Amino acid sequence: MIKCLIDRKMPSKENVAKRQDFDAVLKKVPRNYPINSPWFYGAIGFSSVLIIILLIFRI
Amino acid sequence: MKYQDCKPECLTLKSEAMFTSLQSSSHYGGHIDEVSIIERAKLNPSHFAPLYKKYHEMIFRYIFKRVDEEEAAFDITSCVFVKALTYLHRYEHRGLPFSSWLFRIAKSELNQSFRDKKAQRTVSIDSIQLGKAMEEFNIDDNEHQREVLLKVLPMLKDKQLQLIEMRFFEKRSFREIGEILELTENNAKVKTFRALIKLKELYTKHNPQK
Repeated sequence: MIKCLIDRKMPSKENVAKRQDFDAVLKKVPRNYPINSPWFYGAIGFSSVLIIILLIFRI
Repeated sequence: MKYQDCKPECLTLKSEAMFTSLQSSSHYGGHIDEVSIIERAKLNPSHFAPLYKKYHEMIFRYIFKRVDEEEAAFDITSCVFVKALTYLHRYEHRGLPFSSWLFRIAKSELNQSFRDKKAQRTVSIDSIQLGKAMEEFNIDDNEHQREVLLKVLPMLKDKQLQLIEMRFFEKRSFREIGEILELTENNAKVKTFRALIKLKELYTKHNPQK
């Protein structure tokens, strides 16, 4: 059920500003692991192709 | 989730300087500054601090008006910024203000909280705004009519309620509504008009004095 609240007291600008915590937000952001990076796939792909070429031509 | 008071040292001097330049810049220049900050934050999330400082209150107030508890509003606001930073690499500047992207995340986080029953959907209305809205709805402003209107408001579909809320109680422009709800300005106008018709229908149906 949706509540309708009339003339609700809004927290003051100062109180809202006090609750800013960018460090806490940063800590919760998941790190980008190399496995998610296109560089990782590029390197893996390049290595795989190189190994296949080496195997085929038995260099 | 509990959050500690903000420590001033959490913002680097460079970030503070960027925030000051963001505040003093013109609307157009502000966009350019924002875009450059976003590009830097994509590489290093700590550069996002000036935008966090700039939009935190705006996003908090948007959420606070839609949930019943202040603590829940702070928690959801924090989640919005965590999500924004997590998916910042997907953000592309297409001429729309960055705030509309944050509002869209806030909208989706709110819906998630309502689904998870972490917060209750609330419509916060200022009595002065309600009086003005009743004038626009062509409804006499008295105690009984207000009661009927507040009774029928929750009967609207959520999307219709959002439109009425943003247009009449928060006084947002159709352009802004469109940006938040991912509609064109004209579509936002048409849908708000339809929501208003629906509200009037419900009002007439539930008002025995008419």
